Amino acid sequence: MLKRTRSMPRLLGLVTLALLGGALAAPKKVTGYGSLGITDGKPGGTYTLVLGDSPQSLNYYGVIDNNLGLIAQQLFDGLVEFNYATYKVEPALAESWTISPDGKVYTFKLRQGVKWSDGQTFDADDVVFTYDQIIMNPEARAGDAASFKLDGKQVDVKKVDANTVQFVLPRPSPAFLLQMRSFIMPKHKLLKFSQEGGAKPADINNAWPSNVAAAEVVGTGPFKLGSYTAGQKVTLVKNPNYWKVDGKGTKLPYLNGLDFLIIRDPQAQVAQFLAGNVDQLNISGAQFPDLKQREVSGAPFKVMRSTALFGSPPFVAYNFDAKDAALAKVFSDARFRRAMQSALNRPRIIDAVYNGLASLPGHGVAPVNKEWYTNTTKQLGTFDLKAAAAALDALGLRDTNGDGVREISRGKNLEFDLTYATDSSVYPAIATILQNDFGKIGVKVNLRGILAKNLLSTGQSGNWEMILHAFGDQPDPELRKPIWQPGGALYYWHRSLQPAKDGDRPNVARMAPWEKEIYTIFDDAATTTDRSKRKALYTRWQLLFAQNLPVTPIAKPENIGAISNKYGNYIYNLGVIPGYNPVPLIYQK
Amino acid sequence: MLTYTLRRILGMIPTLLVISAVCFAVIKLQPGSFTDQYLEDPRFTRETAAAISRQLGLDQPALVQYGRWLWGVVTRLDFGYSFLQNRPVVSVIGDLLGWTVFLSLITLLFSWLVAVPLGLYTAFNRHGWPASIANFLGYVGLAIPDFLAALLLVALVLQLGGTNVGGLFSPAYIDAPWSWAKVADLLGHLWIPVLALGLEGVAGLMRQMRASTLDVLTQDYIRTARAKGLPQHRVIWRHAVRNAINPLISLAGLSLPSLISGTIIVSIVLSLPTIGPLLYDSLLNKDQYTALTLLMLSAFLLLVGNLLADLALAWADPRVRYA
Amino acid sequence: MTALPAPTSTPSPWALAWRRYRKSRLGVIGGWLLILLYASALLAPFLAPYSITAQHEGLSYQPPQRLHIVHEGQVRTPFVYGFKQERDPVTFARKNVEDRETPIPVQLLVRGEPYRFLGVPTTLHLFGVPEGAYFFPLGTDQLGRDLLSRTLVGGQVSLTVGVIGVLISFTIGILLGGVSGYFGGWVDNLIQRVVEVLLSFPRLPILLALSTLIPARWPSTWVYLGIVAVLALIGWAGLARVVRGQVLAARGLEYVTAAQAIGARDLRVILRHITPNLSSFLVVTATLALPGYILGESALSFLGLGIKEPMTSWGLLLKDAQNFQTLRLYPWLLIPGLFIFLAVLAFNFFGDALRDAADTQSR
Repeated sequence: MLKRTRSMPRLLGLVTLALLGGALAAPKKVTGYGSLGITDGKPGGTYTLVLGDSPQSLNYYGVIDNNLGLIAQQLFDGLVEFNYATYKVEPALAESWTISPDGKVYTFKLRQGVKWSDGQTFDADDVVFTYDQIIMNPEARAGDAASFKLDGKQVDVKKVDANTVQFVLPRPSPAFLLQMRSFIMPKHKLLKFSQEGGAKPADINNAWPSNVAAAEVVGTGPFKLGSYTAGQKVTLVKNPNYWKVDGKGTKLPYLNGLDFLIIRDPQAQVAQFLAGNVDQLNISGAQFPDLKQREVSGAPFKVMRSTALFGSPPFVAYNFDAKDAALAKVFSDARFRRAMQSALNRPRIIDAVYNGLASLPGHGVAPVNKEWYTNTTKQLGTFDLKAAAAALDALGLRDTNGDGVREISRGKNLEFDLTYATDSSVYPAIATILQNDFGKIGVKVNLRGILAKNLLSTGQSGNWEMILHAFGDQPDPELRKPIWQPGGALYYWHRSLQPAKDGDRPNVARMAPWEKEIYTIFDDAATTTDRSKRKALYTRWQLLFAQNLPVTPIAKPENIGAISNKYGNYIYNLGVIPGYNPVPLIYQK
Repeated sequence: MLTYTLRRILGMIPTLLVISAVCFAVIKLQPGSFTDQYLEDPRFTRETAAAISRQLGLDQPALVQYGRWLWGVVTRLDFGYSFLQNRPVVSVIGDLLGWTVFLSLITLLFSWLVAVPLGLYTAFNRHGWPASIANFLGYVGLAIPDFLAALLLVALVLQLGGTNVGGLFSPAYIDAPWSWAKVADLLGHLWIPVLALGLEGVAGLMRQMRASTLDVLTQDYIRTARAKGLPQHRVIWRHAVRNAINPLISLAGLSLPSLISGTIIVSIVLSLPTIGPLLYDSLLNKDQYTALTLLMLSAFLLLVGNLLADLALAWADPRVRYA
Repeated sequence: MTALPAPTSTPSPWALAWRRYRKSRLGVIGGWLLILLYASALLAPFLAPYSITAQHEGLSYQPPQRLHIVHEGQVRTPFVYGFKQERDPVTFARKNVEDRETPIPVQLLVRGEPYRFLGVPTTLHLFGVPEGAYFFPLGTDQLGRDLLSRTLVGGQVSLTVGVIGVLISFTIGILLGGVSGYFGGWVDNLIQRVVEVLLSFPRLPILLALSTLIPARWPSTWVYLGIVAVLALIGWAGLARVVRGQVLAARGLEYVTAAQAIGARDLRVILRHITPNLSSFLVVTATLALPGYILGESALSFLGLGIKEPMTSWGLLLKDAQNFQTLRLYPWLLIPGLFIFLAVLAFNFFGDALRDAADTQSR
């Protein structure tokens, strides 16, 4: 009913208001997911999920912590959220919105009658407080101040009336609406930790530590905090004030309780799932056959494959700024990277590492993302060691001394380190396959295993030669700009492009022509409001990516979830994606 | 004896100081900083990183950071602040201390109660088949790494249709108030970690007990005691066991710090709410004061264990005397 | 059987010890087992049918092949059947279908992949099958590598590092522990403080720091030996404590006092009179420490510090087996664990027999 808000927001806003006829309580009706197998459920029951570790705090903006994120998305909501099926933005705490013709003023009409879980009324003050005092506070550890500064100028947020909030942007930003998924916090509970309430800017991080009294943690989400037992379990209970209903008007969530068991070890998670103590678990391709076999032979759960948009496709990158000048020169050469792509046995990796449960990757955009994806399969080429060897020969990288390894210069072998994560179920096997195949064409690779936790910081330090890593896919390329725009904060394979200070102009002079083009594309797309123009820009970017391989994507793993037969309405849920929370629809059969 | 004990306790202070300095240096030796782990998050900018570093005092020289921590400890018993959890280290550790001590003591008790009698038995009955079986089981315990043992136990329980495959309670009992049912549930879960953690210790202790008992049995005073016509059980308990247990006491003193570090992997595999994983996390994430405090706690336990062992040694073996 | 001249009526202590050792049946078995294990490690490249790095594409997770002698009712020279692999369309599990049509003869002393034995290049392998066919007696791993070959070669690492680690830590531990207990006073005090500092030395952060400092180009064997040496250099402290406790006790014994009285040098007293008294404890501790070193490397490789691909070791191989899907679908990957068990068993049997052999006063 509330779809396609984005294309005609103003009209729809009016229609919505008219339809509701001024009624005070305006719950959101969640319908139209028949294609995902969603039916009307019945209230009751408890559902148990796993957390990979204890939450470090209960203040979503105080720590960057994935485990807290999983809990927080059940406790809080943003102004807007994703459609489960189309990933389009639709109303949440905001009932409707308008965007000024110049694309700079966003006005949100808030849903009326929404109450915090402690019974207080939710209104514009909470929204303004959350954005102004927390999210835009640069000292809030998990705030997002940078996204609310455009061209060095602050986004202005103000209350129009009790149910209307307005954001004024210094320049148009077509992806701004996606930022509005940020969770809104209760002003009446957090004021004393904010500058407005007289505290220091950094004090907001100290709110709601993990040993806080449960009644203090107040949200608008489907659940509220019941209790937290350190290192063991987080218990959430139904929020009776939640603002969503199903097609029949039954209040959501269906569940009475939602438990998170804290289980760090992936094997232990599987054990608890098999024992029936955990009701839903996301698993890897390596685990799929075992669990699917159990399902086929009558175990009380289902294992489901899905090609969800989110998820992290691994890639290999070569360091354009490698410490060894000869290597840096070779790595910067797109011909070398293309040659090495021919020695990348994607079908074998998909078969041996993912058990066949992965597909060919896109370039920066997931193939399932219909809105932005451009088919680049042809540029992936095929696995062909002879062609790879010939291409390396053509580059002058030959084995002249007969030791089986090509020389990069006289007397110096083409030999480099591959940095990968040892504590992962897929990276070690991929690294070993690469090492083996590269060795066959006279390229010597030494494996350098580190902990997954240190991968990115190692990448950013520049202290590596070849790396195996992954970044998550997002619905809009704009959200991944720091990764894929040359000179971006996470574009670490060509680190010498990064500006000395965040927000400054990157070192454009050092960019290769194709990097310059990509750089301009991202800058243009960030201010272009016209959809088809953006689409054209991003299409060009994906082709440049596929051609020049700043990084070489390997495969796009399928997402696999296992769910107990006791529950209905399961939709695959990767983890922490603010604005994408299908749990309220789950019901116990 | 009393002055000796006092002197030893006073002697701990400089040792602890040296250890704290060394530990801090080693923690600081790791490259990178606390804020590095967040870089992947698009919300996290260098500006935020700098603000956090300032706020946590990480922009100061390492020596100043150490000095401040030490000053806090000495003057206010303040062991610093956990960067990860935004609250004092003491409260973070306090959350988990109870279960850690409980599990460790139970495991220690289990391995001693099983190992010492078995060691004695296998020493006195060297060639019978029960001794051979006990030895064999000991070898199995030695050869299986504790986390594989945990995994195999869990697989076995699953195979038999059990649900107690990790943690200390069934989910429903975790946050329930104490009751007999909860205790029963705890016991149903406890045996897996105790077996997985204790098995290796049992094998080692048992073999050492056997060896040192065999040694003692050949000593002159045992022969003398036997020759004097003392009853067998008296010979065994008064003379043999008391002497044979000497090396084990030294070992027991050393085993106190494993309260913290010995349980890391099994705690992770079996989802036990102990301190081990916290130490691992704080080291990996460079949560320096949490790591430092835990390492100091471990060092302190070691010193106390050593002192207790020395005192026990003097009690068990009158030949050991302290000037 | 004594090779010693036997005219004297009392045999030498060594001969007596040898006689006592041979009396222990388990000890003899343990001894032979050790010889066997070390020989197989030494001859690993010859015994192994394949190179440890050879990845056989399409033959991932192949179960062990059984040796047959009867084909279609007829007895023949030993042969195996090949496997065909396909994927179940629903469960995505690999199905291995034995090809009963074509027996593959197993031949002895065949030419295969080249390797160097003690520096001499050769291609001779103990057994193999004709080209185009494969024989994996213990099956293959995720990447289609022969598990038998990897286990045999992995033994080279696992069977040496433990011994080296124990040697280093025992030499230092016995010496310093002995000195500390024997002299007492300020020497004891100093050494014990050092021991305490070392014992509370945090291993994990040291290893984490080392893991970022060691270059990837170092051969992994060297990296691991280096780590073992570091661990052993820290690890002697515990042993020194125990030795000290024993020496403290032994110091008061008559024969030590007697030795001191006749003016024996201190080191001589420690080494000749006190340490032998501890021998049984030391032997047991050493055999107990070995499995720790063998298994320890799997934890180290987690930190990127242990043996790295393409090299291998038992600990690393066993690490691959530690998950539920392996226990159920590919149980043969647990076989390296069996080798660890055998080695531990052999060392302990052997150690017990040694203890008994050294024990001169036993009944």
